[in-house]
Amino acid sequence: MQKKINSKQITLDSHKLNMETIVMEKIKSGKVEMKPRWYFVAGSILMTAGFVGLMAGAVFLVNLTIFLIRKRGPGYGRLEMMLDSFPFWIPIVAVMGIILGIWMLKKYDFSYKKNFHLIVIGIITSIIIAGLFIDYLGLNDVWSHQGIMRRLYQQSENSNPTPGWMKNGYEIRYNDN
Amino acid sequence: MKHLDELSDEKLVQKIRSEEKELYREIIKRYEGKLLRYAGYLVRDEDKAADVVQEAFIKAYKNLNGFNINKKFSSWIYRIAHNEAMNVINKHRKTALLNEEIDLNSGIDLEDDLIKKELKEHAHYCLDQMSVIYSEPLTLYFLESRSYEEIGDILRIPMGTVAVRISRAKAIMKKICKKR
Repeated sequence: MQKKINSKQITLDSHKLNMETIVMEKIKSGKVEMKPRWYFVAGSILMTAGFVGLMAGAVFLVNLTIFLIRKRGPGYGRLEMMLDSFPFWIPIVAVMGIILGIWMLKKYDFSYKKNFHLIVIGIITSIIIAGLFIDYLGLNDVWSHQGIMRRLYQQSENSNPTPGWMKNGYEIRYNDN
Repeated sequence: MKHLDELSDEKLVQKIRSEEKELYREIIKRYEGKLLRYAGYLVRDEDKAADVVQEAFIKAYKNLNGFNINKKFSSWIYRIAHNEAMNVINKHRKTALLNEEIDLNSGIDLEDDLIKKELKEHAHYCLDQMSVIYSEPLTLYFLESRSYEEIGDILRIPMGTVAVRISRAKAIMKKICKKR
């Protein structure tokens, strides 16, 4: 009995035949090479370190924001003054850090298997709680008076509303008087 | 040495990584047909599907050291093919829009065997009428015999979403086949 051959099957088979040859040729000739193992290990380490660093940075900046609100805070009836002089770049950078961290988290395998919205809410809540907890422990008061953070805290406390680079090149100078 | 046919994909990958590149030919043999068919349903053009699969094999080889052998190789390579196909689809803007007339919440469920039969008989016509977000899981489930978990891994969506999309795709399928 004669077997019926359809044209689609012929096209598919020719694709298959060519593909195997083309791909293996590229591999054997060295045109296509496997990326080394360390490339993936380094990528994974950098990704994790980047995520941890971003989250730590976000906690620190959230804490700094809480510290500044407490120092200049609306509780003393100085809301308008606080809004005028508050260094808003600190919470903005914190939020950007969180967004970048979440974007990085999406690259991990588990992100689509779990409830990602819940993970995001968990991360944001943890960052805020950690910032409040550091404030509660009074660590930021210690940091603002001693150690390597002292300068940053004091600068932020007496700072301009926005740094020069956020003012399109116009740096605002305040008189101490 | 075990015969190649007896080796699992993951063991084969281990050998390719540590011993010889030539064994990659076996991977191509195992997956070219499946991936050509899968890419064909996505890009709806045989030549483009062949390009997609060829590029998928090249990318898979380049990134072979990044594959975790404790996971399923099939899901991994299907994922690469999916990404390549999506690139082509986005490039050529050939995504079929969801037919607005179709009621997704009809609630009528068809027998799987009937769906399978319909898909095989009128696959191209039916799938062409559907949005790729529904046709893709349907293709993977019925035509490529992938489990919900594997489909989730390929499309990077939760298993619950896979189930919902397949269920909706079945309803759409029924409407389309009825119309036909």
